[in-house]
Amino acid sequence: MDPAALSQSSRTEVEALVARLTADLADATEQQTVTSDVLQAIGRSASELQPVFETVVRHAVRLCGADAGMVYQLEGDVYQVAVSLGGSAEYRRYLEQHPVPRGPGTLVGLVGLERRAVQIADAAEDPRYRWREARELGGFRTMLGVPMLADDRVVGVIALWRSHVDPFDDRTLELVTTFAAQGVIAIRNVQLFQELEQRGKQLSASVDELRALGEVSRAVSSSLDLDEVLTTIVTRAAELSGADGGSIFEFEPSTAEFALRTCTGTSEALVETLHQIRIGLDETFIGHAAATGEVRQAPDLDAQPRDPHVDSLRRHGWRSMVAVPLRREDEIIGALIVRRKVPGALPEETVRLLETLASQSAVAIHNARVFHQLEQKTRELEVASQHKSDFLASMSHELRTPLNAVIGFSDVLLDRMFGDLNERQDEYVRDIRNSGRHLLELINEILDLSKVEAGQMELDLDAVSLTDLIDHGVAMVRGRAVGHGISLTCDVDPELGTAHADELKLKQVIVNLLSNAVKFTPDGGAVTATARRVGSEAQVSVRDTGIGIAPAEQDRIFEAFQRGGRAARTSTEGTGLGLTLSKRIVDLHGGRLWMESEPGVGSTFSFSIPLVPASAAAADSPAEPVDATGSILVVDDDRRSADLLRVYLEDAGYAVSVARDGIEGLELAGRLHPEAVILDILLPRLNGWDLLAQLKSDPATSDIPVVIVSMTDEQGAGFALGATDYLVKPVDRARLLDALSRCAPPQGERRTLVAIDDDPVDLDLLEAVLAPEGWRVVRATGGEAGVRAVRKERPAVVVLDLLMPDVDGFAVVEQLRADPFVGDVPVVVLTSKEMTAADRERLAGQISFLAQKGTFPQAELVRLVGRVAGSRLPGVGAT
Amino acid sequence: MTDPALVLIIEDNARNLKLARDILNHAGYDTLEAENAEDGLELARARQPGLVLMDVQLPGMDGVQALGRLRADPATAGIPVIALTAFAMKADRERFIAAGFDRYMEKPLDIRELPRQVAATLSDGGTER
Repeated sequence: MDPAALSQSSRTEVEALVARLTADLADATEQQTVTSDVLQAIGRSASELQPVFETVVRHAVRLCGADAGMVYQLEGDVYQVAVSLGGSAEYRRYLEQHPVPRGPGTLVGLVGLERRAVQIADAAEDPRYRWREARELGGFRTMLGVPMLADDRVVGVIALWRSHVDPFDDRTLELVTTFAAQGVIAIRNVQLFQELEQRGKQLSASVDELRALGEVSRAVSSSLDLDEVLTTIVTRAAELSGADGGSIFEFEPSTAEFALRTCTGTSEALVETLHQIRIGLDETFIGHAAATGEVRQAPDLDAQPRDPHVDSLRRHGWRSMVAVPLRREDEIIGALIVRRKVPGALPEETVRLLETLASQSAVAIHNARVFHQLEQKTRELEVASQHKSDFLASMSHELRTPLNAVIGFSDVLLDRMFGDLNERQDEYVRDIRNSGRHLLELINEILDLSKVEAGQMELDLDAVSLTDLIDHGVAMVRGRAVGHGISLTCDVDPELGTAHADELKLKQVIVNLLSNAVKFTPDGGAVTATARRVGSEAQVSVRDTGIGIAPAEQDRIFEAFQRGGRAARTSTEGTGLGLTLSKRIVDLHGGRLWMESEPGVGSTFSFSIPLVPASAAAADSPAEPVDATGSILVVDDDRRSADLLRVYLEDAGYAVSVARDGIEGLELAGRLHPEAVILDILLPRLNGWDLLAQLKSDPATSDIPVVIVSMTDEQGAGFALGATDYLVKPVDRARLLDALSRCAPPQGERRTLVAIDDDPVDLDLLEAVLAPEGWRVVRATGGEAGVRAVRKERPAVVVLDLLMPDVDGFAVVEQLRADPFVGDVPVVVLTSKEMTAADRERLAGQISFLAQKGTFPQAELVRLVGRVAGSRLPGVGAT
Repeated sequence: MTDPALVLIIEDNARNLKLARDILNHAGYDTLEAENAEDGLELARARQPGLVLMDVQLPGMDGVQALGRLRADPATAGIPVIALTAFAMKADRERFIAAGFDRYMEKPLDIRELPRQVAATLSDGGTER
C-alpha cells in the first residue's frame, strides 16, 4: 500500500485492523494458553473429571464474559451438575439438588435433544425456557449451552449465562465448543481409566483365586499335572530370586539317587546331561543339602568340591547356585536348585522365599506319589478282583460239569432205572451221590462267600415271615433229628411279624443253624428253636445240648472251615463254610449273629434281624378264621395227635370229625363232604397216599382240599398227588389254621373270589355265573384295584383279565407272586388277548389256568374255579 | 412237522451227554446227539426234533449263538430249546433267559426234573408254535 494514498479514514481502518489482529492474536494466545491449561489438567488427573471441568468452567466464564458457568454430565436419565461457577451459593445448591431431566423446557435438556449448541437470548421471554424456579434463583437472562459429544451421543453440556440480556457471539460459541471437546476427552480418559482399573481388579481377583485354588489342589489332591506344577515352581523360583535358571530333582529311595524332574532357563544340552548323570546322596552338593535339610549356597561353583552335577553346571557356564532341600517330615523328597551365570550368594530373604517354594514342591511331589500309588493299587485290586470273579465263575463251571455226571448217574442207579441194586451197591452209590452233593454244596458256598467278600451279593428284599422260615428249617432237619433220637422243638412268638429280608438267603441261615445244632448234638439230645420280638428286631436262637465250644475256640468259630474243635457225627456232613456265610448274610441284612456256649452243656447260636414296623405289616397279616363253623375231617390213627388237631381246630371254630384209619377216612369224606381233610400218611388199612389218590380220582370228592400232616417230609409227592398243603409234624397251630383258611373257609360264609377286569360287563357276567354257585364275587375294575382286593380279601381264587389300561394282568400276576401272603393264590386267566409265545413265557408257572374269553364254556369255568380254588400253584394249563 | 418224541442233545462233555441221553431214553424219548453246535444245527434241520437240549458252554459256537441260528432258520425256528448250564452266576442266568431259551436248567441235572421239563416244554411248544 502506497503510504501517500493513506487517508485518514484508511488510517483509522488500518488501526482498527491492527487492533483486531492484535486482539485476535491475544485471543489465540489466550486460547492456546487455556487449551494447554485444560490439557494439563487432563494429564494430571487421569482418574478424576472434577479438576478438568473446573479448569474448563473457570476459563470459559472468564473468556466468554459470562456471569456463571456449569458443566453437566449425563448420568442415567438426568443431567447432573458436575461443576458450577458464579451465581449465589443457594442457586448452586439448588442446581446440585435438581438434576435436569432429558427433554424440552430447560437449556440443558434442549441441548441434549438437539445435540448442538443452543442460545436463549432472554430466558424470561423465550417460551422454550420453562424452568422458572432456577431462573428466579439464578437471575439469568441470556444463556448458551454447548453439548459434549462422544460418538455423536451427548454425554454432557457446558452452560454459560449472563444476568442481563446480551447474546453470546460466534467466537464465544467456538471457544466453548473447543472446551466441550476437551471435556469429552477428559470423560473418555476417565472412563478408560475406570475400565482399566476394573479389569485390573478382576484380574487380580482371579489371580488370587487361582493361587488359592492351586494351593488347595496341591494340598488335597494331585490330579494336577505334577510336572506342570513343578515347572511353574522352579520358574517362579528363578524369577523371584533373580537367578538365570533352576531345576528340581526328585530323590528315588530305591537307588538313593536324584533324578531331574524339571528345568527352567537351562540349555537343552545341559538338560540332556542332567538327565544322564547320576547324583548320589553322599558326597554331592545336592545330596548334602537334602540329607541335612538345610539350604546350601555355592557362591562360586569353581570353589566347590567336584561332583557330577557341579561339574556339568560349570561346563555349561554356570557360576553359582543355591540348593534348597525338598523334604516331607523326615523323608527326603528331592531338591530345588536355582543358579546364576555370575558368582555370588543370594540374600537371606530370597532364601526364605525359596524355602517356601520348596515346601510347596515337596507337598506336590509327595501328593503325586501317594496319588500314583493309590491309582496303582486300585488298578491292581480291580484286576485282581476281576481275575477272582472270572476264576470263580470258571471254577464253578468246571467243577459242576463232572459233578453233573457223578450225581446224575448215581441218581439213575438209585432210581433203579436200569435194574435193581443189592444193599451194598445201593449204599455205595448213595455214598458216591452224597459226596457229590457235598462237593456241590461246597462249591456253592465258596461262590456265595466270594460274592459277599467282593461286595457282589445282592439281597432280594421282601416281607418275609420268619415263622414260615423256621417251620421250613425245622422240616428240613427233622428227618435227621428223628433218626438220632434228638427232640426238636419250636417256640415261636405268634406276634413275631415279618422281616424285611431275602427269603432264600435267610432260609439258608436258619437251616444252617438248625442242621449244625442237630449235627453236633449227641443222640438223644435236644435242639430248640426260639423266635422272639426284641424291640424292633426279631431274635432267632437255636439251642442245642451238644458238647459246646471252648471259650478259646469261640472267636474263631465264624472263620471258614472251623468247627470249634467239635467233631461232626460224620465227616462228610457240612462244608465248614456255613457259619461264615450265615454271619455274612445276617450282616448284609443289618443284623447280628452271635453265639454263647458252655463246654459240656451246649451252644446257642442267635441272630437278630430288623422287623417290618407293625403298622406296615398289619395290612398284610393273615386273617385267622373267626367264629368259623366249617367242618373238617381229620384222618389220623394216633389218638394224641388227632386230639391235638381237634383242639386247635375247634378253638378256631371249625366242626371236627375224626377217622382212625384210611378206609374210615375215605368213607367219611364221601359221606360228610367236609370243607377240608387233614390227612396223616402212615395209616392202618389204607395209607395216606392211597387215600389221597382215591379222593382225587372220585369226582364226588375230588374238590375237597387235602392238607397232609405227616412225620415225613415228602412235599413233592404230596403236591403231585393233589394235596393243597403239606405240613410236617409237630404242627404249628398258626400254620395249620393258615393252611385251612386257604382251602376251607368257615361254614356259612361263602368262598371268596376276586374278579379283575376293566370291563364291567364281563364282571357282571362272571358274577352272574359264579354267585349262584356259592361264590362271593369281589369285583375289581382294573389291575391296581385288583391287587389291593386280593391282598385284602385273600380269596380262594382270582379270575384275571390280561388287557387292562392301568396295571395289566401280567403285572398283576407278578405283584401277587411277589407278595408272601397272597403269592400262592391260584389265578385263572380269562382273556380275549391273542397269546404270543412271550406272553405264555411270562405267565409260565405263575398261573393255574389260561382260558380264552367267549370260547370257554361257562359250566366249565364254574368247575375250573372250584377245582383250582384253595389249591397251590399247579402246573400251567392250556386250552 | 417236528417229531415230539425226538430230542436233540447238544453237549460237549461225553459223560454228561450220555447221562441226558439215558434219562431221556428211559423216559421214552428217542435222542439225537451232537458234541458241538455246528453238528447240532445240522441235525436239527435234517431230523426236525421236537425239542433241543442245549449246553450253553460249547466249544466254538456257543449255545447262545447256536440258539440264534436255530431261530433264524425257518426250518428250525419253531423248535423249543432248553438251555443246560453249569454256570451258577445270577448274571449268567439272566443272560440265558434274555437270550430266548424256552427253559433253563442248571447242572447238576435233577434226573427226575429233566423229563418233566422236557414234557412241559413240548406241551407248551405245541400250542405256541
